[in-house]
Amino acid sequence: MSLTAWFELLASGLITGGIYALVALGLNLQYGLMRILNIAHGEFLVLGAYLTWWIHTSFGISPLWMLPVSFLLLLAIGMLVHRLCFRRLAATAPDLDAFEARGLMVSFGMMFVVQSAVSLTWGADLRGYDYLTQPVVVGPTQFAANMLLIFGLSLAFSLALIALLRYTLLGKGVRALMQSPVGAQLVGIDTRRLHPLMFGVGLGLSGIAGCLLSMTWTISPSMGAPYTVTALIVITLGGFGSMIGALAGGLLLGVVEALGMHFTSPSLKMLLSYGVFIGVLLWRPNGLFAR
Amino acid sequence: MKAARRDWLLLCLLAAAALALPLLASDFALSLAMTCLMYVALASSWALFCGSTRYLSLATSAFFGIGAYASALLVGELPWPLVIAAGATAAALVAVAMGAAVLHLRGTYFAMLTFGMTELIMHAVTYAEKSLSGTVGRVLMTVPENLTVYLTVLGIAVLAIAASILVRRSRFGLAMAGIGADEQRAQTLGVDTRRVKVAGFALTAAFAGAVGAAMAVRWTYIDPHSVFNSFIGFQTVLIALIGGAATLWGPLVAAIVFSLLSETLRLQLPQVYMLALGVLLIVCVLWLPNGLASLRLPGRR
Amino acid sequence: MTTAQATGSGSGSGAGDGLLLRVRGLTVRFGGLVAVDSLSVDLSAGELVGIIGPNGAGKTTFFNAISGVQPPSSGSLAIRGREMEGSPPHHFARCGVARTFQTPRVFGDMSVAANVEFGLQFAGRERAAPALLGDAASILALIGLRGRAAEPASAITPSQQRLLEIGMALATRPSLLLLDEVAAGLTENEVEGIARLIRRLRDELGLCIVWIEHAVATLLRHVERVIVLHQGRMLADGTPAAVVANAEVVEAYLGDEMDAAPEGGNIGMAPPSE
Repeated sequence: MSLTAWFELLASGLITGGIYALVALGLNLQYGLMRILNIAHGEFLVLGAYLTWWIHTSFGISPLWMLPVSFLLLLAIGMLVHRLCFRRLAATAPDLDAFEARGLMVSFGMMFVVQSAVSLTWGADLRGYDYLTQPVVVGPTQFAANMLLIFGLSLAFSLALIALLRYTLLGKGVRALMQSPVGAQLVGIDTRRLHPLMFGVGLGLSGIAGCLLSMTWTISPSMGAPYTVTALIVITLGGFGSMIGALAGGLLLGVVEALGMHFTSPSLKMLLSYGVFIGVLLWRPNGLFAR
Repeated sequence: MKAARRDWLLLCLLAAAALALPLLASDFALSLAMTCLMYVALASSWALFCGSTRYLSLATSAFFGIGAYASALLVGELPWPLVIAAGATAAALVAVAMGAAVLHLRGTYFAMLTFGMTELIMHAVTYAEKSLSGTVGRVLMTVPENLTVYLTVLGIAVLAIAASILVRRSRFGLAMAGIGADEQRAQTLGVDTRRVKVAGFALTAAFAGAVGAAMAVRWTYIDPHSVFNSFIGFQTVLIALIGGAATLWGPLVAAIVFSLLSETLRLQLPQVYMLALGVLLIVCVLWLPNGLASLRLPGRR
Repeated sequence: MTTAQATGSGSGSGAGDGLLLRVRGLTVRFGGLVAVDSLSVDLSAGELVGIIGPNGAGKTTFFNAISGVQPPSSGSLAIRGREMEGSPPHHFARCGVARTFQTPRVFGDMSVAANVEFGLQFAGRERAAPALLGDAASILALIGLRGRAAEPASAITPSQQRLLEIGMALATRPSLLLLDEVAAGLTENEVEGIARLIRRLRDELGLCIVWIEHAVATLLRHVERVIVLHQGRMLADGTPAAVVANAEVVEAYLGDEMDAAPEGGNIGMAPPSE
């Protein structure tokens, strides 16, 4: 296979990987910080995608504007959901295992709520739109402009989150909480404000991913679940709680999928990801990058 | 033991009532009863394992679908009881494989994985169908008549409850309860938790597979998307949780109430129905984590 | 008045079946932290052993390793000659190792009697049943919770839960009983009660009992052999008197404890009988 072909393959893998990384980072933030395993994560991605499509096709507003809008909207929804549901759970669950289990069930219910809401509002058909599809020359080959945009933006947002966590006071507070909930609270870090905010940020990331997605791929109400599962695979590969791991894992998985699809068959995509996943789980149950 | 005798008596009464139904009721009522019995079987067998060990399986749809496909492949080739047995066995085998790989993980991670497994199996079946048979779905040709199917589902439901009654009072049930209460403690007291968990998971899968095999013949055409529909698993979990996953009769009562309330809504406005159920699950987990059964028995946690 | 009087050191010349547990070079590592460092020890039937050491000395980790809860990073571990490293906890239970935990882990929703019954149904099933541990009723009588048999385990007091934990462990009909800080939070009388129970178990059943305790003074009164752990390594292994006199031990650990002890210098002598 020619070098150009390899380049194209790897690049397309990285592009999808960027989306995976974004979704995985959001899920990781929610689980690492709050032990909430949000099985509905993918559905919020769908929400972001549909909102972008709708606003764009109805009002002609550029999807780029929808990036901050989706983020903020889903941030707000996330904070609301956290206040309504998870706060109560945290107060009433007898132990951590029960809290995680109930959190999972709540998000399971949310999955159906969001999916049905999207379906009711916008119908169950496949939707899509064209945006920035003109080809751009990159090295020996060319890509659609929107693909490059997606890659650039998803990488930018991922790195921004990682930087936020590493260098800002807020981020340090979050990381402190993740490492030692009690210790962090003792020094005055306020979980009551931080948890809903970070939950919202997680959903916001999902929304951005959905918005980016919609620029080039067709969307449907039921496409959320595979992304949730992929995100789970990514955070397992990258190690729970590790943000860099989620980014690296997402990109890696994208590339593995692209290679797999090319050399075997596109329909085997999910099976391959799973194969990788189960393999990793059996070999290193705590993830590839876990210390 | 008084309680055991009461349980068996109740089961016999209910079974008798269900047996009499075909003689008295319309076709529509029979169809409703069949769906109801399906969920009785699914929810009770789910609760059998998941209620006591607190390992929440979201893989019911996967096992249901496996049973359905077993049925699609074998109906007409094998006598009906064997078709059902094949569905149950196939599902149980997959559960053993799945369980051996993931049951050593913590409860919630296990749940996520079982959810993912459903997706995986659906994709695997879709791929296999496309490459091996060149088809998307399957048509079921020689199907048994409605009454046979009804009696089969009834039989499976009765078996599921009977299994629950027996297991609860057995050593196996005690082991599962110990796992649910404190798994490591149970291990230090001599329970081979891995084996118990795999066995329990396989048992719950077998029932789901049997139900799937039986119900598949009601749709003359099946395809991966319809039989591996995660909504089936969702409803099972919802019913079991609302009824009280750790109780014997809770899931049955919830299944009956559910089927009666939801029939029209489900057919006319499926999206609204799904949305309402989602909200219901959330409300239930937040305010009634031990199900409705916790309301009837004051003083118990 | 006691019948079996095992000598203080570990060569198992007391009553019972001889060598129960042989540990050689046991090491447990968590990432960079070495919790147990190349520990070697022999335990025989009928011994009453205490383990002391400051926090982080590796005491509970040691228990975890010899009960199968924590697989060792290296070293060998044999129970009655059978190699056990890497075996799951239920194997250990079936080979006669029973333990309690620092905070009582009982099955809260089950009744006290059911909690005891549990061990009898599993590990206890395959082991020889002495009359004292014949059934749930006799075990409950032994630990003094017969009156509470029908109550849910979550409803009894913490010190009763401690006793229940011992009862649950006994239900597996062990040869080796590991007690992790059973005296914590108990009154003087309650501790005496437990000490009497332990003596009885050793005298009538030939159990080897290993007892981790922070309240050093209390422990030294009731055991016949003391192992001192410090930073995962064994610092001393001998009679209470010998250990107390050991300069290294005193320097590392006992100094403060000794000053705080109510009876000053009498701690080292284990009373010959109750």
